[in-house]
Amino acid sequence: MAVIDRHASEVRIAGGKLPPITLPTNCPGCGVALDPEHLRKQVYVCDCGHHFRMGADGWIQLIADKASWQERWGDIRSHDLLNWKVPKPYQETVEQLTEEGLNEAVRTGMCTLAGRPIWFATFDFRFVGGTLSIVAGERLARGLEQAAASGTPYVLVSASGGARMQEGVLALMQMAKVNAAVGRIHSAHVPYFSVLTDPTFGGTAASLALLADINIAEPGAAIGFTGPRVIKQATYADLPPGFQSADFQLARGQVDMVVPRVELRRLLAHLLEMYA
Amino acid sequence: MSDETTLTVWQVVELARNSLRPYTLDYIQRLVPDFVELHGDRLSGDDPALVAGVGTWHGRTTMFFGHQKGRSLKERVSRNWGMMHPEGYRKAIRLAHHAAKFGFPIVSLIDTPGAYPGAAAEERGIAAAIAGAIMEWFRIPVPIVAAVIGEGGSGGALGMGVADRVIMLENSIYSVASPEAAASIVWRDNSRKVEAAEQLQLTSRDLLAMGVVEEIVAEPKGGAHADFDAAAASLDEALYRHVQPLLVQPVEQLLQHRYERFRYIDSLLHAEPHFGPKID
Repeated sequence: MAVIDRHASEVRIAGGKLPPITLPTNCPGCGVALDPEHLRKQVYVCDCGHHFRMGADGWIQLIADKASWQERWGDIRSHDLLNWKVPKPYQETVEQLTEEGLNEAVRTGMCTLAGRPIWFATFDFRFVGGTLSIVAGERLARGLEQAAASGTPYVLVSASGGARMQEGVLALMQMAKVNAAVGRIHSAHVPYFSVLTDPTFGGTAASLALLADINIAEPGAAIGFTGPRVIKQATYADLPPGFQSADFQLARGQVDMVVPRVELRRLLAHLLEMYA
Repeated sequence: MSDETTLTVWQVVELARNSLRPYTLDYIQRLVPDFVELHGDRLSGDDPALVAGVGTWHGRTTMFFGHQKGRSLKERVSRNWGMMHPEGYRKAIRLAHHAAKFGFPIVSLIDTPGAYPGAAAEERGIAAAIAGAIMEWFRIPVPIVAAVIGEGGSGGALGMGVADRVIMLENSIYSVASPEAAASIVWRDNSRKVEAAEQLQLTSRDLLAMGVVEEIVAEPKGGAHADFDAAAASLDEALYRHVQPLLVQPVEQLLQHRYERFRYIDSLLHAEPHFGPKID
């Protein structure tokens, strides 16, 4: 995208220094042995083009300008509403992940990107598969409402298996809650850019992730409603290679573009300049 | 009330799925005998899993929607077991705008295991179709009342369930995922469906307690299938009682209340402090 090249000199590929992530010893894309430090400098994209999953902390560092991140509502916590016991008590799951330093499946806040203020929210697949929960929905809805009210562009990064089973029907209701708030963004003529990363499925794909003004998929990301395992179970169908891939969704009109992570920030900066 | 106190959760699930239960068309026949069915999403197709149309209900032209499962094998195949494809959600939203144009209130009857979990639905954008429908329902400037009459399965049900009032028949269920799907996700084993159902809290009483639905509609003794006419009469009475106050509400207030109904749907925290996050 030649038009974006003019941002190349002033927009860095990441706003800050990315945290380390858990990596396999070899790249699943090309098989070469991985050098974590080398990969970190190229925002966890292998030379072969394989994109590794990042957590919320990584995405915040990538998107936000250095020292601009102001997290909001980080203190709201999930509760075991359904008294979920098997195969593992939900409360235990949540406590264990929290002890590991994760803060729910969605984190949100304000920051700048190339100097422009945005509301930013990112899923974290490491927290119960990035599942949409009451806390996730609440953080998303509040951020969307604030963005709509203040006229600040909204940027989302998704990585989610869908609604969280352990919060039952109230997790399902989060889809309506956040979509209502997305409606406010659109009514307020506020730009909303959604970055769909691997994987984005179920209640997250069927709610805010695909409702942006511009839907951007990462190369190789699996995106869909029903996961391939369940499709096979339900219909005994053999799914062709590449089914539900980012390119599949591009060809079927569900996303506007497939953009490598190294170009993402430059693209967002360009879009913010044009739309904000 | 029936002998529901003796039913296990799984028995309620089976009752909600009982193929002898009245389906959407059985209720429509009784509630709006002059029903005119409307078809098609005006983009690419029609979805037989969702019945849509207009009829005179309590003296007023009303738009009815409902999942239709089908009883004979042939009918089930043609209705796709009440599992909607993207065309169904697009048809619903087209006709919701149609209803809004003429000021017709909307009644939506929910009875689906979920949206169709197959490759064809994925290829035509089922996720975006559901997402778009859920968002669009919040802008439809006429009263909407929804009733779960059997199975309320996942996003497929919610895609037809954004309403000003949502009620449930006594032996119906409403869940984030079918017990089989939840078992498959949590245990990676869908044979654990009974345990999953017990944990999901998906019965009408559970949903009323969580504040997700406004009312439980009592079914005839033995269940809705025991007496279609009586079941239809109770549903009719409850639906109309809920729609009446909405008919005189100013549109802005109606839409604001619909927004707030879902925005704070997990906020039974006002009554029960352990429910949901605290609002700061």
